[in-house]
Amino acid sequence: MKGKIVSIHSFRGGTGKSNTTANLAALVAMAGKRVGVVDTDIQSPGIHVLFGLDENKMGKTMNDFLHGKATIREIGFSIGENTGGADGRAKLAGKDLWLFPSSIRGREISQILKEGIDFNLLNEGLQSTIKEFDLDYLFIDTHPGLNEETLLSIATSDILIIILRPDNQDLQGTSVTVDIARSLDVPNLVLMVNKALPKYDFVELRKEIASKFHAPVAGILPLSFDLADNASNDLFSLRFPDHDWSKALREVAQAILVIE
Amino acid sequence: MSTDILRQLKKTLIFSGLSDDALAEVAQKATTRRLSKNDVLMKKGEVGDSLFLIHQGWVKIVTVDSKGDELIINKCGPGETIGEMALLDQGRRSATVIALEDAQVLELKNDVFEKILNQRPDVSLSIIRSYSDRLRFSTTYIERAIDWAQKIAEGDYSFVDQTQPTNQTASDDDKATQLLSAFFTMVNRVKEREDGLKQQLEKLSFEIDQARRKQEFEEITSTEFYAQLKEQAKALRQKRHQD
Repeated sequence: MKGKIVSIHSFRGGTGKSNTTANLAALVAMAGKRVGVVDTDIQSPGIHVLFGLDENKMGKTMNDFLHGKATIREIGFSIGENTGGADGRAKLAGKDLWLFPSSIRGREISQILKEGIDFNLLNEGLQSTIKEFDLDYLFIDTHPGLNEETLLSIATSDILIIILRPDNQDLQGTSVTVDIARSLDVPNLVLMVNKALPKYDFVELRKEIASKFHAPVAGILPLSFDLADNASNDLFSLRFPDHDWSKALREVAQAILVIE
Repeated sequence: MSTDILRQLKKTLIFSGLSDDALAEVAQKATTRRLSKNDVLMKKGEVGDSLFLIHQGWVKIVTVDSKGDELIINKCGPGETIGEMALLDQGRRSATVIALEDAQVLELKNDVFEKILNQRPDVSLSIIRSYSDRLRFSTTYIERAIDWAQKIAEGDYSFVDQTQPTNQTASDDDKATQLLSAFFTMVNRVKEREDGLKQQLEKLSFEIDQARRKQEFEEITSTEFYAQLKEQAKALRQKRHQD
């Protein structure tokens, strides 16, 4: 099936979700796929910063599109044509990757619900985005927790990637998200462990988590100070492809690419 | 020329293939040098133009460590040769050699040796074979070392138990043997460290509070919003499936 919606979620904040989403989208685009990324949080530094976009220069957002106030062509920002100076990002030159800024949080959430952005409207919006840009994958960086707009994204997903850290709170929260994803008939559920301390046995960790949730663990990514220190706001996996974190993330990208 | 010297020459790696009359000729062209204790036979860095066969006594082969202290690499005694390579290539001496006691060495100069080689094709051929043997021996070990290094990179240490470095074909000062010995020491240390690290790897154990899981799931799914969403999602999946 062409045009898969890939939602990336974590139960709590701080799992490295935005960074993972941006890098995963970039890796899938590097594999020659046509990729879109919906950045749901343009107020705080996140995906757009990693792609080198200035939030002050972003005009219209996905919200305007969903309300019929803009065309999707006005929203989509081509990364392949605007890679900027960073070493990692430069590798995306000529690749088919677009960023779709959106803003659904705080006051605007209630506004959206009041204005009636419901499941069907969101879904039609996403589907026409896929169609208009002929996308193979549309990544959605969802908000942590399980509020209503996150449930909307999960419900419309073909693939749900849940990022968790190997600690009790994340594992507890993930168990609820896994149940919700199954209740909403998400066809493909993939787990990804991030910020794993090197002292753990990664092979055992993978087995343990996969068996607890009866879901595949596509990758165990190590806690990395190199990554935390990525002060240049570049795409780490493209800039440092030989780093263990990047290698593990390529496994996750590969797991996405093989889903039919 | 004493038969002792001839017997010693016959046992060296490079002259072992020579016929008795060729050995006698080599011995005849060589000169004998007497060393007193602490006499320096050669200095590190000098251009070498001769081979020495130790006839009597012991010498030490020394170098200087980073602190400037003398470091004894090896000791050589009767029947052992020093500076074989210098006979042909006149390279610089790689270490200093000092007599440990009164000693007698046989010196064969490079120019004298070359004259013998010119006059005696049989000697030339035998010498070439000796160097060739040594080169083949070294190359074989280099190839094996490469193979082992690849195995270590893959975490496969099975060869350590299957292979034990042997000392039968080479003298103690043979560089290939030294490499092999250092290699196996390294492998064993690396393996020890790796085993230690493996034991330090912790197994993460966690338990999910199933009652809390169920409660939180019900809180989310009991709303009207969720019921509607579930219906819409189901309809969407069916539609996509049909498409």
